[in-house]
Amino acid sequence: MTMLDVRKVSRRFGGLQALSEVTFSVNQGEIVGVIGPNGAGKTTLFSTLVGLIRPDAGTVTLDGKNLAGLKPHTVAGLGMTKTFQNVALFGESSVLDNVLTAGLLRHGVDAARSEALHCLDRVGLRAVAHKEAGNLSFPERARVELARALCTAPKVLLLDEVMAALNPAEMREIMQLIRSLRDDGVTLLVVEHHMRAIMNVCDRILVLNFGRLLADGTPGQVASDPQVIEAYLGRPAEAARR
Amino acid sequence: MKRWLALAAVIVAVALLPLLLDPRGYWIRVFTFTLLFAAMAQAWNIVGGLANQTSLGHAAFFGIGAYTSTVLLLKFGISPWLGMLAGGALGGLAALVIAIPTMRLQGHYFALATLAFGEVMRVIANVWTSLTGGPGGLSVPFVPPSLAAYSFKLLRPHAYIALAALVVVTAIFEIIRRGAMGYRLRAIKQNPAAAEVIGVDTTRVKLQAAVISGALIAMLGTLYAQVAVFFDPDTVFGIASISIRIALIAIIGGVGTAAGPILGAFFIIPLEEVMNDLLSSRAAGLSQLVFGVILISVILWRPRGFITVFDSLRARLSRSGAS
Repeated sequence: MTMLDVRKVSRRFGGLQALSEVTFSVNQGEIVGVIGPNGAGKTTLFSTLVGLIRPDAGTVTLDGKNLAGLKPHTVAGLGMTKTFQNVALFGESSVLDNVLTAGLLRHGVDAARSEALHCLDRVGLRAVAHKEAGNLSFPERARVELARALCTAPKVLLLDEVMAALNPAEMREIMQLIRSLRDDGVTLLVVEHHMRAIMNVCDRILVLNFGRLLADGTPGQVASDPQVIEAYLGRPAEAARR
Repeated sequence: MKRWLALAAVIVAVALLPLLLDPRGYWIRVFTFTLLFAAMAQAWNIVGGLANQTSLGHAAFFGIGAYTSTVLLLKFGISPWLGMLAGGALGGLAALVIAIPTMRLQGHYFALATLAFGEVMRVIANVWTSLTGGPGGLSVPFVPPSLAAYSFKLLRPHAYIALAALVVVTAIFEIIRRGAMGYRLRAIKQNPAAAEVIGVDTTRVKLQAAVISGALIAMLGTLYAQVAVFFDPDTVFGIASISIRIALIAIIGGVGTAAGPILGAFFIIPLEEVMNDLLSSRAAGLSQLVFGVILISVILWRPRGFITVFDSLRARLSRSGAS
């Protein structure tokens, strides 16, 4: 069953074609990785999907609903939200309040609080619930960001580099969490630079390069695609040097 | 529980104060205006504190409230209590109209745009003589004293009405702060894009805050008109007399907290009066100068307001209690 359908989405910023006729679809319960060199358009794609950026052309359909012209809060209400690459927490608020605010999308304050505690449990941050979010370490903040997104009870969750700066043990925990979310029926799109992690956890990989979709396939297919190797690692001669 | 008892004790203490002051005297007047300005700063605090949008145009809504009830009383003999509701509705509407174009602005730009709006209202009130009496101002007519007519021989009832208004506005502020709207406003204040993405309708929440704040301050405009008995456009729509003063009260006391505007008002309003009393006869501008120096010193000493004095006191107490 198609959960997310993206048709010919384009977006230009001045002279830069950030997204160019990007087309793909994602089934319910899939974990899809989005990779590509820096500046390939991964974050722009996520921002466009949730409505922070309006596409110049193309359509995004979530669970059968066209998202054209909808604001991010409406998209969140329909079941799609994202985390922020650079971590965009409410720094002066407590960790709990950060997550609780997301819970207000579907609950009153009291229910949102217990929902938020549950989400903090899932990312292993319950112990710091009452700390000021801005005072946490970067990996912890990334996990708060994840808990906050979870607390909107998404059908589709877009994770923008939540594993950056994590140590291997923490990374395994997050991968575990991603799998358990999938088991709960959540559909996930994951932008990540850590290749081993993404190849390991994803069912399918999308490769973006200069705003274009270069490849769309299983980790194995993508890894052996000569175009991808060239875009990612440079020309074969350079690749050999590495 | 302890907190509620303490709160009740403070309210009772403040409620007893008017009984000690000479009912025809000068200090009960200062006291009444102090309570009124505390309530006004508290209404401002909903937008200025929780949403962190420093409005310098709240005089616009305040003046609308003062003029609405007074004009309705003068022209149609309508009780100021009903006039207050009408003024509140108009003030809320005006707040909505100004919020739609300005809410996207942040920081200085928001402050300047709201400042301009307050000035526009002042100019309109000065020019529209047939309705407002123009620069000559309006006098609230004297009607036989009764609660229903909002008319009293002495200032004591006015002091109690102002106190009740402060309690009500503070309660509204606290309900908003602790409730879903407070969480949403704090989220918007810190990161509007992230707030949207996790489902906060930032436009709607900002408009709601603006309308509640504008409506409350307009209703307080009626209270002011009834106490002051006479007012003109330059006082009720004034930048220095209203807009900046209420922002200053909240900032000096502590923005975004319920106690802040109350502390600020009980510092600033009496201080202004004392300064004027002591110094205005000595040299022109001396009282303003000293007042300014005192304010700057306070801000340098406590950049986040008087409220932080209590925070550090509490910290010291709990530390000494632990040792």
